[in-house]
This record gives sequence, C-alpha cells and structure tokens, in this order.
Amino acid sequence: MADESIPTWEDVARRYGRKIYNFAYRLTGNPDDAADLVQEVLLRVRKGLASYTPGSFDGWLWRITRNAFLDGVRRNQRRPTSPLPDDDRVALAPSPSPDEVLASVRLSEDVQSALLKLPIEFRECVVLCDVVGLTYEEIATAIDSPVGTVRSRIHRGRKMLRELLTWPV
Amino acid sequence: MAGMTSSPCDIGELMSAYLDGELQAGELDHVVEHLGGCTDCILEFRHLKEARAAVRTLPRLEVPELLAPSFHFGPELSAYLDGELPTEEQTQVFSHLQTCEECRDELHELDAARAAIRSLPGLEPPVLIEVHRGRHEARHFGRRGRAVALAAGVAAAAVIAVGVAGSSTPETTIDLDSFTNQHVARASVEAGFTVIPAVGPVGLEP
Repeated sequence: MADESIPTWEDVARRYGRKIYNFAYRLTGNPDDAADLVQEVLLRVRKGLASYTPGSFDGWLWRITRNAFLDGVRRNQRRPTSPLPDDDRVALAPSPSPDEVLASVRLSEDVQSALLKLPIEFRECVVLCDVVGLTYEEIATAIDSPVGTVRSRIHRGRKMLRELLTWPV
Repeated sequence: MAGMTSSPCDIGELMSAYLDGELQAGELDHVVEHLGGCTDCILEFRHLKEARAAVRTLPRLEVPELLAPSFHFGPELSAYLDGELPTEEQTQVFSHLQTCEECRDELHELDAARAAIRSLPGLEPPVLIEVHRGRHEARHFGRRGRAVALAAGVAAAAVIAVGVAGSSTPETTIDLDSFTNQHVARASVEAGFTVIPAVGPVGLEP
C-alpha cells in the first residue's frame, strides 16, 4: 500500500485480513484465538486510523498486530510460551541417523507445533519474515527493535526450529 | 564447526540474513568465501534453509466465514478482470469469489462495462491531427479514464478531420485560425490534445 495514502478501514480488512489471520494463526496455533486476534487488530486499526499520519503503513499495521498479540498473551497465559534461553542451544536427544533425517518430511502440523515451542520473541520474527513476508527493516519497525536484533532472532529461531523438527520431542 | 549448536565460525547469523537477501554491504563476500571452505557451515546453511522452507511452505489459510463479511473486494476486481493483480492477490480474489455472491455480482457488472467499452468501433486518426498522451496524463488518469479520454480525443479529431476533408482548399492554403477557434472550447477541456497544422504551429493552450 502506498505510503502517502491513508487507507480506509475496509481497505485494511480487505487487503490485509488474510495476512493478519495467517500471522495470528501461526502465532497462536488455533483458529479461535486467531479469529479473536484479527477482530482485535481490526478494531484497533479502526480507532487508530483517525490519528494515523501517512508513513510506513505496513510498519504501523504490524506493530498494532504484534502488540495485540502480546496483550493477548499477557491476558491469557494458557498459551504455550517459553522463556528466552541464554543462548541458542536446545536440549536435544542424540543426533539422528541420516535415515531419520531423510524421513523427516514435515507435516504442517509438525511445523506449527514446532513454531509454538519457540520463544515468542523468536516466533514472531520468524512468522513476520517467512509467513507475512516482511523485510528485516519492516520487522524492526513492527517490533520496535534494531535490525540487528531481528537478524539474530530470526537466525536463532530457525536453528531451534530445525532442531525441533529433526529430533522429535 | 563441531555441530549444530557450537559455532567456532563467525558467520552464524549472517547465514540467515544471506538466505533472506538481507546482508549488509561487505558481508556478502565474507559469507560466500567462508561457505566455500567450511563444510560444517555448509551443512548448517542447508539446515537453516530447510527450516525456512518448512515455515514458508505452510499452507496459507483462508479467513473464516465469521470474519469474511469484512473482506469484500472493490478496486481489486477491475484489476482482477484485467489480470493485473500480483499472483498472490489474484489467487486471493479468486478464492473469495467462490463464496461471495456480492463480489461475483460486482465482477459481472464490471465485466459487462468493460465489454461495452471494448466493443466501441476503432477510428482511424486523421493525418493533420496528433494526439499527445504524455506521461503526466498517463499518471493522472486511471486505466478506464485514459480509455475514455483517448476515445473522446479520437472522436474530436474525427470531427476536425471531417471539416478539413470537406474543404477543397489545398493543404498549403488552409487558414486554421478560424477553424481552431471553433474548437478551442473543446480542446481546452480535453487537456493534452494539440492541433498540429500543416503550415506554422498553431498550438492550443491546454
């Protein structure tokens, strides 16, 4: 969406609804929470558009989306979360054999399950990058952090994801 | 590198940025050079690529019916008809049309309007008339606006051409002053169309 234009709420719902829903689903892991999050985001967008000044619309929208998600997590601690590790090591079983690796054709449920095991900070960066398709710069705007932090979280998130997918836990 | 979780090499997170085309200036050579000689990092690079692909190939989910009423399409439908949407959006509109009667009706109306415009007969431009369509107008008008403006311009040109053709005066003796004065009002409304006379420039202010 062009930066200089201010979209209507209907534009946002139409153009971004599907992406917001996919983001929400991959972060929350269930359709009900995802639908709730989409509605919450669209409500915030509707209120926020009145005071929105033209700029990076995507950055603005995804910051709202991300904040709505984090607010939901804080309200509802039943969502699976884990603290940020000191480093990017994950407790793992012994290395698998090549056959096991070859057999690791992923079902989307496996990937979704592994995503939910990532710390939220890593998960949101990986999803914004690989599901929503934002650049590192756009993600940095969305999560209000430096690009270097985004780069590090995406890398560590992918490493953990790969390990979770390779060695069943 | 001894394994996936220990990293004596120094390109660690640069590999993910390399996958995403997000390396900063000067980093690319370093990563490529290192990957050329470190089998452990090549292995890790492949693992990162697999993890990235696993997430990227997750199925894209449709918005549930519960939320669907918010997601009708508008301007995208014309672009959809013309095949001008990006692939992802084209697929999105197509999926939506399967279940949304309102958008299907809108699409049919747009299709009928488009067919009506396209069925207009083509007109040959006259020799003495040149229609300018500059970059400015191309930006100013939308696709349909440009088509209408062009059609109107061609029609105006045809009217002028009939007037010129109807005269038996040789081309070199045409007095375009009175002729163009009759059409100043029309031409001034339709900015961008300029009469190019055979003798001497007779420009019309837009």
